Amino acid sequence: MRISFNWLKKYIDIKTTPEEVAETLTSIGLEVESIEYLGKKFEGFVIGEVLQKEKHPNADRLSVCLVRVEKNKSGQQIVCGAPNVAVGQMVIVGLPGAVVPQNQHDPNAKPFTLSKTAIRGIESNGMICSEFELGLGEDKNGIKVLEPTAKVGTTLASYLGLDDVAFEIGVTPNRPDCLSHIGIARDLCAVYKKKILSPSIKIPKNKNLSIDKQLTVKVINKKDCPRYSARMIKRATVKESPDWLKNYLTAAGLRPINNVVDVTNFVMLEYGQPLHAFDYKNISKQVIVVKNTNAGEKFSTLDGKEHTLDGSELMICDGRGPIAIAGVMGGLNSEISSGTTTIVLESAYFNPISVRRTSKKLGISTDASYRFERGTDPHNVIEASARAAKLIAELTGGYVVQGVTDVYDTPIEPLKIMLRCDRVNKILGSNIPSRKIKSILSSIGLTVKNGKNKETFNCVVPTFRPDIEKEIDLIEEVARLYGYDNISNQTSVSVVFNHPDIIEKRINAMRSWFEANGFNEIMTNSLIGKEISSAISDATVNVKNPLSVDHETLRPSLLPTMLQSVAYNYNHGAEKLTFFEIGSIFKKVEDGIPAKYVDGFYEQNTLGICLAGQASPLSWAEKQRSVDIYDIKGIVQSLLSQLGLDNIHLICYDAPSSLTELTLTVEINGSYVGFVGKVRQSILDRFKIEKDVFFSEINLDVLMSFDSARKFTGFSKFPTVTRDVAFIVEDEVQVSKIENVIRNSGGALITSITVFDVFSGKNLGEGKKSLAFSLQLNSSEKTLNDAEIEKIIQRVIQSVTSTFEATLRSI
Amino acid sequence: MLNEKIDQIKTEITGLISSISSNEDLEKFRIEFLARKGKIASLYDDLKSVPVEQKPIAGQLINSLKKYAEESFENIKKTIQTAANEKINFVDLTLPGRLRPRGTRHPITQTMEEMKSIFTSMGFGIVYGPEIEDDYHNFEALNFPPNHPARDMQDTFFIKDDVVLRTHTTPVQIRIMKERKPPLRVIMPGRVYRNEAVSARSNYFFHQVDGLYVDKNVTFAELKGTLVTFAKNFYGSDIKFRFRPSFFPFTEPSLEMDITCFLCSGKGCRICKNTGWLEVLGAGMVHPNVLKNCGYDPEKISGFAFGMGVDRISLLRYGVDDIRTFFDNDTIFKSVLMKSLCA
Repeated sequence: MRISFNWLKKYIDIKTTPEEVAETLTSIGLEVESIEYLGKKFEGFVIGEVLQKEKHPNADRLSVCLVRVEKNKSGQQIVCGAPNVAVGQMVIVGLPGAVVPQNQHDPNAKPFTLSKTAIRGIESNGMICSEFELGLGEDKNGIKVLEPTAKVGTTLASYLGLDDVAFEIGVTPNRPDCLSHIGIARDLCAVYKKKILSPSIKIPKNKNLSIDKQLTVKVINKKDCPRYSARMIKRATVKESPDWLKNYLTAAGLRPINNVVDVTNFVMLEYGQPLHAFDYKNISKQVIVVKNTNAGEKFSTLDGKEHTLDGSELMICDGRGPIAIAGVMGGLNSEISSGTTTIVLESAYFNPISVRRTSKKLGISTDASYRFERGTDPHNVIEASARAAKLIAELTGGYVVQGVTDVYDTPIEPLKIMLRCDRVNKILGSNIPSRKIKSILSSIGLTVKNGKNKETFNCVVPTFRPDIEKEIDLIEEVARLYGYDNISNQTSVSVVFNHPDIIEKRINAMRSWFEANGFNEIMTNSLIGKEISSAISDATVNVKNPLSVDHETLRPSLLPTMLQSVAYNYNHGAEKLTFFEIGSIFKKVEDGIPAKYVDGFYEQNTLGICLAGQASPLSWAEKQRSVDIYDIKGIVQSLLSQLGLDNIHLICYDAPSSLTELTLTVEINGSYVGFVGKVRQSILDRFKIEKDVFFSEINLDVLMSFDSARKFTGFSKFPTVTRDVAFIVEDEVQVSKIENVIRNSGGALITSITVFDVFSGKNLGEGKKSLAFSLQLNSSEKTLNDAEIEKIIQRVIQSVTSTFEATLRSI
Repeated sequence: MLNEKIDQIKTEITGLISSISSNEDLEKFRIEFLARKGKIASLYDDLKSVPVEQKPIAGQLINSLKKYAEESFENIKKTIQTAANEKINFVDLTLPGRLRPRGTRHPITQTMEEMKSIFTSMGFGIVYGPEIEDDYHNFEALNFPPNHPARDMQDTFFIKDDVVLRTHTTPVQIRIMKERKPPLRVIMPGRVYRNEAVSARSNYFFHQVDGLYVDKNVTFAELKGTLVTFAKNFYGSDIKFRFRPSFFPFTEPSLEMDITCFLCSGKGCRICKNTGWLEVLGAGMVHPNVLKNCGYDPEKISGFAFGMGVDRISLLRYGVDDIRTFFDNDTIFKSVLMKSLCA
């Protein structure tokens, strides 16, 4: 809501500066988002009088003038090039330092700054300006000559009525009463303890035919139109509005149109009551009917657009058909034009929900609909209409027809609410005396009477405050006007202690591990294109109103958006990419399956890990190599172990996966928690990634459910012995199977098995590989002797060679 | 005579020790003193002419001189050897060390973690809720009546007619109030969505932290105190702030908290739209309708709630001017940020 400071001061008598008023408004919840000084662009321009004019000694077309710019002072010398300058003229003078908005000698009319200068050897202290230079008109041919009544020394802004300040106020949706100058002034009056100055609404009487003989109003849909009133103005001349009206409207951000429309807008911004003016001669059969019309009917609004109605819209109709969409916009067929002489002025109260529905459905939002849908004051309808009718008559030279048609069958009663003073202080944590509470509420127009005891008030809420419905709303009003700053800042001593959160701790440990191991945490979009998501899942969740085709589906996996980041970084020259992301992924589930949150949808907190490019940064100390599947596998193993999770298994996955090849599933205690693999080239192609990417996705909801409480189980006091064995086996023999045989045959004394060498070569034979294991043996009861160790090793060798047709390799 | 000669040779040796630094000099030393025809050997010849009764003493003196010369020889030899070894095993300490990897947390995570740590220190627990939310939790239970203009504030992504992508983390308040009983003191971090075009200043998803404290006798004064404590911890103890009355359907009375713009120190700049203030959070007393919707009696239980955005604050804290930078996830951007944060 844009408020003109000058206009505001018509209703409240204050001498306060605009800045102070802005601060006050903000402190009572009417936030001033910006302050615009409208006269600022005319700073340094004043009204002057030309006292003398002589020819410039060194230039034919220039004159040397003496111009008085301060009352009762002598003039100052200004060189002027305009042909029309003459002694006795009242002119606009730009003083040194002023910025001329438009340079008429510049092809782009750029602004320039005036300074004291010499023109062809003659001193000049400023400039006499043309209309064009000040942006006041198009005339460049000479200086602007003002009316002789203009006063020397007046600032140009003040002369033009533009020495105003405009506030942009962020009015919250609960305060429709503040969508007007009087509304804002009313709240200010409460703070400054002033009485509101109401405008005059007295309409002169005449003996002409009264309105009920000339116009009939029928309201059919009384639910959506509780009150409808009409007045008439006759013998009007539609023309341009006077400057004062145009200046107010412009300052408040509206474009002046003509004296009739401008008055309806002026009164709307004054009272908050939207009004509409019809041309009487276009109202068929002199009848106005407020009703819903038939579905399929077409209607053209003032802005020239045609709408097809569905019958739900409340319409203002005449004897023929619709002439306006109630509370939203008038029709082309009854618009005020230069030929209008008799005006019908509508002032009504429409149901906010009905106006909102229609405005939304037709996609039309106007200053009127904005106010109606937030709730106007039904009791203000007649006063605003009188104010507007009086002004229209004055400005158009017409007269107001006697009487007003007012259809208001069921008056809307003001709400009565009881307020307990102790409740106020209990909620606010304050100690505001009941006397103060009463005076605050009275100051904003409530009637406050003592209730059944001294600490209880019965309050009557004026109809312009539809937001005050309950006791808590009254408490809010008290707090707001008492001042939030006057309520102390307290902190509780009765702190509620919480259990340290295991999930928070584990997620934090996870991030620390990633950070320490050189990973970058990324955050990516949750919405992706349907094309890619459908390649991943057939149970995707789609948005009905997406921003674009690239944001249609909630991600069913972190992979696509993580790959976007991989591609982005590859394109920016990165060579080593180690990413992790923690975020939600989404799936649709069949109806009937109970969901944790919203039925039909499954949401999972998920960890994604992406590896691509070089395994380590370029360095003198380490040989460069590309990452491979064992990197991602090792990362997942180390991470889970670091989190204190045991009994982790990574199992080769035989079923085909649409996302990855070389896939391993990750299980903890036999439960699936995620997978590890190499991203399929067909997926990478969609992101134009040419190098291998390794990926793991872990279900954090499941992961968090596992206990990580490791307990001390004691350790052996006897020495550990290490023995190495190597076998030559077929390529296809899996290490994990050999490890199992070693463990089973070696028994419990083998405490650790480490693969420390894997190679194949011609000397081993075609299709063979050599695997070397380092075995650690330990007993918690005694020191193992050579014979015992040898016996175990022999058993291991025996089992492995016979199970896998392996041969022992000497080390 | 002989004694004087012995002393003289000893002085000679002592004088030479420090000046020998090469094997050649050392060899000269050996020949001069320790060779078969060296100076010490010749002393034994001189011994022959010493009177018998003095011979044992003179002999001892010569022996100890010889020992001194031999030890000096060995010492010098070792010193030369060590010096030679050092030259062979030269270590260039200017080679870079074997760097350990350095990773980064996302800037938004960092901001979020700081907020969490301040609130947990003030006794708040942390709870989460879904991003796909139903109309009931996102709007209805939070006192947004159907068709109310307050819904103008929400430009929402719809999944179904009554299922949306949550527009704020506030619906988690409803879920937690229904799940638990007061006293309840929690924060609710998470991702939220608005149907907004993506630009440098706005994104269609962003992150919020909501807070809730419900108990007997929770007051507006305590809300203010809690927010001031948070703001001083988070923005600095010398921060200036103000509370403005505001409006949210789910709180009454409501407020917004502004802090002095820390980019222009309140003088007015582009970021604070020349007001000198930055809006950092919204809050208020939980609306009685909301308490009732959760099965609480507003006459017995009161509460306060607050909510703040994480992304915009992160932009300001790290001096990033385009919100999209956070989600492009450029590793160079992250490493630059990391450097500046470590400095």
